Amino acid sequence: MDHPRELTVEAPRAWDRPVVSVPVLICLSLVGGQLPSFSASANLYTLGTGGALIWVGLSNRVPPRRPAPRRLPPGALWWLLPVTVFGVFEGATFVLSVGDEFPTFSRLADPMLEDHLVRSAAWFAWLTAFWGLVRR
Amino acid sequence: MMRALAIGGFLAALLLFAAVEWAARREGSRIPSLADVCAFVMRYEVGPVPVGRIGLFGFWWWLGWHFLAR
Repeated sequence: MDHPRELTVEAPRAWDRPVVSVPVLICLSLVGGQLPSFSASANLYTLGTGGALIWVGLSNRVPPRRPAPRRLPPGALWWLLPVTVFGVFEGATFVLSVGDEFPTFSRLADPMLEDHLVRSAAWFAWLTAFWGLVRR
Repeated sequence: MMRALAIGGFLAALLLFAAVEWAARREGSRIPSLADVCAFVMRYEVGPVPVGRIGLFGFWWWLGWHFLAR
């Protein structure tokens, strides 16, 4: 007997469950956190992990967790506030380009990212957000 | 002085991101969450090309490369 399509629920694949994906992301982050800035290995690892996630995200291999909204409510304009504040400071520090006197965001973040633990945490945040985008 | 201004400005921006996300997650909020805004952007297609998806993935990829490889 045929069931209406909208009543069927696709079971999540084994690798798509948090019990699998979170440890995988942690392992990838710990490896990434050991790779120093400006090294070929760090470049290749970033390009490889990001490229793989983009490939998964564009090949429709992962079903979305919930449908995307068809339109945004006017309240979405509130997001322009933090984006504008960040953009103004990043733009000003980048254009003036006076180094540590008036540093860009990445110049401020660089010393913190030299610590392996902080670097691994940043890797985990980046990969987790990337995985979240792939799942949308 | 200018350095403190830059740090303060970036901290303010990060706090505003957190505040808007917090406001969006309240019951009955009319502000969409950042995830919903991203999902909406990713819906944008030009013909068969998922331009929004490619753009957001590309931006996030570049961001990771910029901070974690450079």
